[in-house]
Amino acid sequence: MTDAGAGARETPSGAGILWRAMPTLWRVAVAGIVAYRAEMVIWILSATLPLVMLALWDAASAAGPLAGFGQADFARYFTVTMVVRQLTGSWVVWELNYMVRSGSLSPQLLRPVNPLVYNFFETLAAIPWRMIVLVPLLAGLVVWRPDIVFAPEGWRVCVFLVSVALAFAVAWLVQAIFGMLAFWFEEAMGVFSVHFALWSFFSGYIVPMALLPGWISGVARWLPFYASLGVPVDVLIGRAGLPEVAAQAGWVVILALAGRIMWARGIRRYGAVGA
Amino acid sequence: MIIDVVGLSKTYRVPVKGEGLAGSVKSLFNRQYRDVEAVKNVSFQIERGERVGFLGPNGAGKTTTLKMLSGLLHPTAGTVLVAGYRPKDRVVAFLRSITLVMGQKQQLLWDLPPQESFALNRAMYGVDPAAYARTLDQLVAMLKIEPILQKPVRNLSLGERMKCELVAALLHQPQVLFLDEPTIGLDVEMQVQVRKFIHEYNTSTGATVILTSHYMQDIAALTPRLLVIDKGTLRYDGSLTALTERVAPERRIVVKGGPAELAELGFVPVDGDQVATVTAEETNRRLSSVLSRWPMVEIAVESPPLEEVMARYFHEGSA
Amino acid sequence: MPPAGGPEALSSGPGPRLPEVLSALARVALMNALQYRASFFVDFFVGSGNVVAILLPLAVVFGKTDSVAGWTWDQSLLVTGFFLMMSAVMGGLVEPNLGAVVEGIRQGQMDYILLKPVDAQLVASAQRVAPAKLWDGLSALVVIAWGLHGTGWPGFGPITAAFCLMIAGVMAMYSLWLLVICLSFWFVRVDNLRYLLGAVADAGRWPVDIYSGVARVFLTVVVPVALASSWPAMALLGRLDLALVVQAIAVSLGGFAFARWSWKRALASYTSASS
Repeated sequence: MTDAGAGARETPSGAGILWRAMPTLWRVAVAGIVAYRAEMVIWILSATLPLVMLALWDAASAAGPLAGFGQADFARYFTVTMVVRQLTGSWVVWELNYMVRSGSLSPQLLRPVNPLVYNFFETLAAIPWRMIVLVPLLAGLVVWRPDIVFAPEGWRVCVFLVSVALAFAVAWLVQAIFGMLAFWFEEAMGVFSVHFALWSFFSGYIVPMALLPGWISGVARWLPFYASLGVPVDVLIGRAGLPEVAAQAGWVVILALAGRIMWARGIRRYGAVGA
Repeated sequence: MIIDVVGLSKTYRVPVKGEGLAGSVKSLFNRQYRDVEAVKNVSFQIERGERVGFLGPNGAGKTTTLKMLSGLLHPTAGTVLVAGYRPKDRVVAFLRSITLVMGQKQQLLWDLPPQESFALNRAMYGVDPAAYARTLDQLVAMLKIEPILQKPVRNLSLGERMKCELVAALLHQPQVLFLDEPTIGLDVEMQVQVRKFIHEYNTSTGATVILTSHYMQDIAALTPRLLVIDKGTLRYDGSLTALTERVAPERRIVVKGGPAELAELGFVPVDGDQVATVTAEETNRRLSSVLSRWPMVEIAVESPPLEEVMARYFHEGSA
Repeated sequence: MPPAGGPEALSSGPGPRLPEVLSALARVALMNALQYRASFFVDFFVGSGNVVAILLPLAVVFGKTDSVAGWTWDQSLLVTGFFLMMSAVMGGLVEPNLGAVVEGIRQGQMDYILLKPVDAQLVASAQRVAPAKLWDGLSALVVIAWGLHGTGWPGFGPITAAFCLMIAGVMAMYSLWLLVICLSFWFVRVDNLRYLLGAVADAGRWPVDIYSGVARVFLTVVVPVALASSWPAMALLGRLDLALVVQAIAVSLGGFAFARWSWKRALASYTSASS
């Protein structure tokens, strides 16, 4: 997964330093989370948007299954979606946008590690803490809706894990790329919100891919939106397979390359404008 | 008397975090608190029109005191009266009679020209438009900022911005000025200008000025009266000269490029000069004995610099 | 420079006048917003995208079934319309201030607000606007009209009730927002709370009946977004009697009073960012 860091190859020693710094990064992330207990509660609560969607689909399928999705299927689908969304969450677009606009990127560029690579690892370090948040939530869900418990085949679980890692990389890379737009446009965040609206519709976040009209899902199935969230979910519940995972890997490569090129040009522009 | 402070105290409750990961996790479930006494039983009075400097090391409680005087923080104990009001009540008449300028924070609207911030403050303080125009003209003339009034604040230099902050803070003609590090980060030239302005403003309007600063020159040049706060308590209240006399009464006699024979009179060579440190009473006798033997030398008598006085004073306190 | 008539004369003068303060605040807020012309158009674009992103899933659901929890497509459009209206007001007038206050507490501008002889809640709530969000209000009207075209136009009574409920709902949401601000006096990092509030408020875009008991009460009383979206729609459809409308308005007034009380308390324990 190291090759996903958009600028990793630019500062070859950066990633190495970071691997060794992982324990420290880890501790910083822990201390950061612990210092703000109230925020932890907030994380738990804001992880529940898929449940809002579940309520809608639940009500819609009360009279009978829709396109093969019954109430239990929807419950499973959105529970897994919630988990994957937590595991693949990142914040690099906000951070990068802020750093570019405020000029605080400049001191970061003087460090031996590429700031983007640093963020990538920081994001990784936060994942176990997100899981802490998820466990009680999942336990509560199982009590509330026992029908969400299901046993996928072993190979699906393995592919699921790979697919989550790829989804993490795609999601992070897409955010990094939108963040880099800040080098050129003041309103990169506005563009990102437009992207988010599209993303929530085509990623499976609010509508399962199988329920989109045929021709739309035929296209959306191969787009990065889906690669960043829906693929692992559908893999686990048996509605996607290896071709979709291969597409995810393809997107990681394409986005990493695009990110590298953008980063190089962006930094040049940043230097020229003088921030 | 415009400010009357009796037994003022402020205690903060801060979380204590243990060392390392284990400490972090422990504090997640069982957070320990510690009371920090930022200001302890401080009392003083300030007369109308005085210029007073708050001096003390970082974290001594200067800013906390200033914020209690301006009503931003509520005291834990003690009473404060400023211009006859209790600051923490934040009544309109009180707020209109004071101002607070913080060198490290800004009230100007970042993306707009300073004039817009001034106009907003005019409305918020309910200043009569004619009086506003007059005050603004005078302040702009005193600070010479006419050319920058149309520029967005984000494009101003630090010094220009501080001058505009002062204007924004003074448009309602407050009786009491609280200045927290007003010259911080400014270059020497700009520091001198700001100092000169504050002095002028005080003498021409009779407003009371209370100032904290890290720069000893601010204190030396601006405030005849000094309040030294150290670890939350008031350690000294009086004039700067009296403090210097008490803490560092000695003088340094420097003979520029003086002859080595001066050693006989107790001089030691420092960077090619001959220097002797003597008590104030001793100074004249020593001078005449030097001049009687070497009448042509260049000679200077110095008091220890304020920085050194303060360093010695705080050392004295902790020893 | 003599202070005209001595300092006492000034502080006993007329004092700040509310209309003058309000117009000065509005002027500055607008100027601030128009600084970034690009943002104005991007926001418009984002707003239109939002409308589509909200309507699309609804269209997908109603493509599969005719009725969800007793609501038809046309009736659901009314809910969506009122939801958009609330989002427009919150996003245009309220939320930009949330950001500004949280930032102000962190960086110290809050000190300067507290030093002004004007009610701090008023200044804190009126320093920013996002005029482009008001476009959302326009699309909200279109969506409501679209819904009413299907359900049939109601009489004067239901329209008045819906209008009052909408105001009450927005006021309740504002009160909640103010409570979040109060929290930020103690926990300086509440950015995530904004995100959470937005995420939970998103649940208001669907008819509140799709949620099960607890969630429904939650969305009506705790995060009263349903009060601003579903309830006005129910009023238009004649599903509420007058007593309920009056109760809802009383509750939101109570919420406002509580929020104001909390704000006063928060100010008393304000510690002011140390410099």
